[in-house]
Amino acid sequence: MDPDEVEFLGEKSLVEIVPTFNSAPIYFIGGDVGPFRASIPIRVPLWVAVNLKKQQQCKIIPPDWMDLEKLEFLKEEEKSNKSFVKMPSDHYMIEAKLILGCAADDIPKTDEIRTIIKDIWDIRMSKLRSSMDDMIKKSAMYAAVDNLTLMEINSIRPLLPHALDQIYRIKTNKKALSNRSQGTTSTLSESRTSFSSKT
Amino acid sequence: MLSTTSYQPNYFSIDDILATQERTPCKFLQNAPRMGKLNPSTDEKDLKAGTELELPLWLVLDASAGRQMIVAPELPKIYREAYREILKADATAVDLHKFNLYFYELGSYVKYFDRREDVHNILLHTFITRFRFIMDLANNADSDPTVQNRLDMLERRLFKSGHIARTKLNTWLLDSGAPLKAANMVTNHRKRKRVDDDLFA
Repeated sequence: MDPDEVEFLGEKSLVEIVPTFNSAPIYFIGGDVGPFRASIPIRVPLWVAVNLKKQQQCKIIPPDWMDLEKLEFLKEEEKSNKSFVKMPSDHYMIEAKLILGCAADDIPKTDEIRTIIKDIWDIRMSKLRSSMDDMIKKSAMYAAVDNLTLMEINSIRPLLPHALDQIYRIKTNKKALSNRSQGTTSTLSESRTSFSSKT
Repeated sequence: MLSTTSYQPNYFSIDDILATQERTPCKFLQNAPRMGKLNPSTDEKDLKAGTELELPLWLVLDASAGRQMIVAPELPKIYREAYREILKADATAVDLHKFNLYFYELGSYVKYFDRREDVHNILLHTFITRFRFIMDLANNADSDPTVQNRLDMLERRLFKSGHIARTKLNTWLLDSGAPLKAANMVTNHRKRKRVDDDLFA
């Protein structure tokens, strides 16, 4: 998947905004938004919020977790923990990027928050890399991906699945050996069919 | 999605055809009448049993199959003991591209010539130890584009798909009015790679 596609999925998560206009509900295929009453907070999908913000028609109220102290705590926890810590939002990176990108004036201490989210992302990415390496080295049968967000999981595609495919191929080739010793068919056709069954 | 990018040999797979071109040493077990032209060193019409020749793998595979083997195949030298020792010592230091363009493909064919599964094990070992190397390369390819010359074709395919995905992700991270940045302190830290500097600056 493209990061843009992941972003598209993440844009469905809800954020709170304070509109500066009045409007009847807007009906979308994905659901209704509104009605909007000026200065009454309302929860809307992220993409609506970003759009309205760009037209200067609302203020975005940052999500609870977008707070320097909470993030600081999260970062420490992420550092000290060997496995992945649960993130406050399934799309924290997307929310952070979009909200901080368009509504920097609505959020206190934008720069610090930006930096700390990037730090958390970097810590998690390096953890992800080393655990991937570990998994391949130990030929583990499975890996737990608890608490990983979609964007993070997507970042190891397609490299990891393809590498596992290849390991699987090398390993399954071995089984053809016992078939071959019966001497009924040639190795050539045999090794080919053993892969085509995977499609 | 996987089937288009992940490797699956089929009859017309160019990679498979190229991989099975490889010269493979073998020994004739039976007389092969009128096959003398395969052996450039004699003018005889027939090939005698006991002749040692190098034939393309696709021919050797079929000639050595079945109950009555015409030729007895031997391992190409890159899969023999001496080379296996090199790979065992440190697979990441090896220029696989020089070994053979299709190290793994060829390996999965010729490993049946070796009854003790040493070749099978070394293929697996090589791939697993080199995975980290490929992954790091895919993530930081900008630092030195020539490194990928040391990969065999299968690894190169992995590298390419990984590299494209990584570039997309990096573009996404940068692509906004105010990209998320790492702290100056972190970026200036000596241990951090220079690539990251460029990306997040």
